[in-house]
Amino acid sequence: MNTLRQFGSKVRVPALSIFVALLIGALFLVFTDIEVLGMLLSDPLGALALGFGRAASSYSALFRGAFGDPANFSKALASGDVQLWARALRPIVESVVASVPLIFVGLGVSVAFRTGIFNIGGAGQFAMGAVGGAVAALVFGAGVIPAPIAILLMMFFGLLGGALWAFLPGLLKARVGASEVITTIMLNFIASQLIFFLVSNVEFIQKPPRIQPVSKELSQFVDLPGILPIASLRLDISIIVALISAVAVSWFLFRSTRGFELRAAGLNIAAAKYAGMGASTSIITAMLISGAISGLGGALVAVGTVKQLSPGIAGSVGFTAIAIALVGGTRPSGVVATALVFGLLQHGGSLMQVETSIPIEMLLFIQALVIAFIAAPDLTLGILKNPFRRRQVKAAK
Amino acid sequence: MSVNAATVALGDGAEAHQQLFASRVRAGLFALFTLISLWITTSSSGVQSNFSLWSDKIGGTNLPFSVPVDLLWGGVTLIFGLMGLFQFIRGAAFKWRLAIGLISPLLVFALLARLLDGTTANLTVFFTSTLSFAIPVGVGALAGIVAERSGFLNIAIEGKLLFGAMVGSIASSITGIAIAGPIAGALFGALVSLFLAWLGIRYKVDQIIAGTVINIGAVGITSFAYLRILQPYSEFNRPIGIDTIQIPLLSEIPVLGPILFSLSPYFYGSVGLVLFFTYMIYRTRWGLRLRAAGEQPSAAGTVGVDVVKLRYRAMIIAGLLAGFAGSFISLSGTGGFGINTSAGKGFIALAAVIFGAWNPIFAFGASLVFGMATAATTLLSGLGVGLPPQILLSIPYVVTLIVVAGLIGRVRAPASAGRPYDQG
Repeated sequence: MNTLRQFGSKVRVPALSIFVALLIGALFLVFTDIEVLGMLLSDPLGALALGFGRAASSYSALFRGAFGDPANFSKALASGDVQLWARALRPIVESVVASVPLIFVGLGVSVAFRTGIFNIGGAGQFAMGAVGGAVAALVFGAGVIPAPIAILLMMFFGLLGGALWAFLPGLLKARVGASEVITTIMLNFIASQLIFFLVSNVEFIQKPPRIQPVSKELSQFVDLPGILPIASLRLDISIIVALISAVAVSWFLFRSTRGFELRAAGLNIAAAKYAGMGASTSIITAMLISGAISGLGGALVAVGTVKQLSPGIAGSVGFTAIAIALVGGTRPSGVVATALVFGLLQHGGSLMQVETSIPIEMLLFIQALVIAFIAAPDLTLGILKNPFRRRQVKAAK
Repeated sequence: MSVNAATVALGDGAEAHQQLFASRVRAGLFALFTLISLWITTSSSGVQSNFSLWSDKIGGTNLPFSVPVDLLWGGVTLIFGLMGLFQFIRGAAFKWRLAIGLISPLLVFALLARLLDGTTANLTVFFTSTLSFAIPVGVGALAGIVAERSGFLNIAIEGKLLFGAMVGSIASSITGIAIAGPIAGALFGALVSLFLAWLGIRYKVDQIIAGTVINIGAVGITSFAYLRILQPYSEFNRPIGIDTIQIPLLSEIPVLGPILFSLSPYFYGSVGLVLFFTYMIYRTRWGLRLRAAGEQPSAAGTVGVDVVKLRYRAMIIAGLLAGFAGSFISLSGTGGFGINTSAGKGFIALAAVIFGAWNPIFAFGASLVFGMATAATTLLSGLGVGLPPQILLSIPYVVTLIVVAGLIGRVRAPASAGRPYDQG
């Protein structure tokens, strides 16, 4: 009972933040609908009914996209046919697939946050991990090397690519105090230009007719094994690697000496220095680990999920990861749980975009709101508690 | 407090040691640059680079001339050599920042000459596009300076540029009045900035996180609004562009007239703003209080300055400036607003703030250097020079990275920028 209450108090603010953000998102949907705005003066009630009706159907598409259509589930239950089951389960499985990059980058960003570094270069580190993984897949996946070893090498080079991209901002922060906010953002831009260059100029990487700026089909070189019994559902071992990474990060941060030093540096760098812990080393280590995890994710996603390297591979994963790290309290378990929720939103959002042509960019707005609510707990709790608190005060008097 | 005192006591010797180390590293880097430019000089002997200028007006009479590339690079080599030497002799006291500021225009120019590869570059275009790129970055940097001088770390310039660009374009399209664009952009920027200040001051949200909220929200909202409204109803995204103006008499000056006196009114406005705020920050009571609030807010509070109110006001001014700068992006060209149209200029502005050491004029100078780099990139990619466009496109970001790294060196930010203030 007690643990349940503890769990409740931990989850309350994040859950409320996401819920309120979605509500504000609905208002945003209503008031950016030109037809509704046009009707608002002549027929305000009708306009609002139309607006909220549309918002409701958008959100219903979002939920069907995230969890699956209940109608499909009942059909699958009734017949038991594998094909129908695959169809019913596909949305939720795809949501989990969408959460894999978020888990990796969310974990990576969390390690940096814990050390007091605001690493907003998750996207660049993820992208460079994808480069490392893709190149390794092209080199080692040609058939000579057995598949499991090729997969390991691919993961290793992804790790390396991400770590390399995070090393520079870490070094600059530690040695000259250069703001990581600017350096990591610049490296994000440079990473995507670099990928653009690689996939449009390098014959070894670019897809054969060499017209589009994309890489060769990576699954022909390294194929990540799936983990679900139904072959048409694409959930591969990357989710397992993601969960193992979460456990490893958790152990590292909370059970190892080095992790303690990182957290100490994050809490009070002056005190950590005074206690004889190398602040520079902590910063560089944190950035290396942070980048390595994001890079590992980049390699697995590029090779396993997207199966291609393209300039837009990272998308808005860096931003989403910040929201996830903060909502998850920069705690690995929290990050995994939040990443799953955001994965649901992400995949649900893509169905919403298809069905109701609401741009998926709306999720960025929701993420910004969620970050604001989480970072200002007083604001969030104010929304939740105020009416009750006043009553309690009165009762006490 | 005691912890702070301890670090100061600990820091002194370490700081001096670090500065000496940093100046040695800088000297080494300058020596390396000297060697590289020496190599470029010798490898380009006899190569001529062709330039031209418009003498009377944009697109007017051409004034062609050529410069030997090895001469330019010889100059670069010499200056780099001297910089390395002085840096080594004078150590940490050497004014390397100024030296880099002075050499970088020549360096960009020499790089441009080396890369031209037989084609002719029009320098009037080069200089005017330098100046026009410097507008959003320079004014954005000014926004950063005003905010950070007051003690609020303003990393949300990028977001405000985006909002300013979108709102400016919509306002100008709806009203059909050209001046409505910059005004609406500035006002919306102020509104966003006020929200940011509210999060940071009222709720003490970490200022970097609060800025990130704005930056992410700006990308989300503006892209969303673009796809949902501006694209299907394109009448909302057909702003009245702000045209260049010919300043009477001055624009008649040969060569200089077309470069300096036939520009967008934005440019003259920006220069005016930079001068105005330099005066305000260093020469007025408001400026003194602003700087005090950013350096030692508790002391400012003790002598009766309302630090909270002052920071709110500074943030509103910063928002006005950033929104105004943003509106330039969508109103100066013909395209109106586009997704992510600010392309990192807000972050480059932050780099200019650092390179300009929180001084508006120096920061504007730094944004001119960024402007030159970008102008050179655009010019070269327009001429179809051999380098792949992706490398050219990433040059401004690489330059920013190098500047922020400060070629190994620290500048002192306002001491309390980023710390919330408790008005006890």
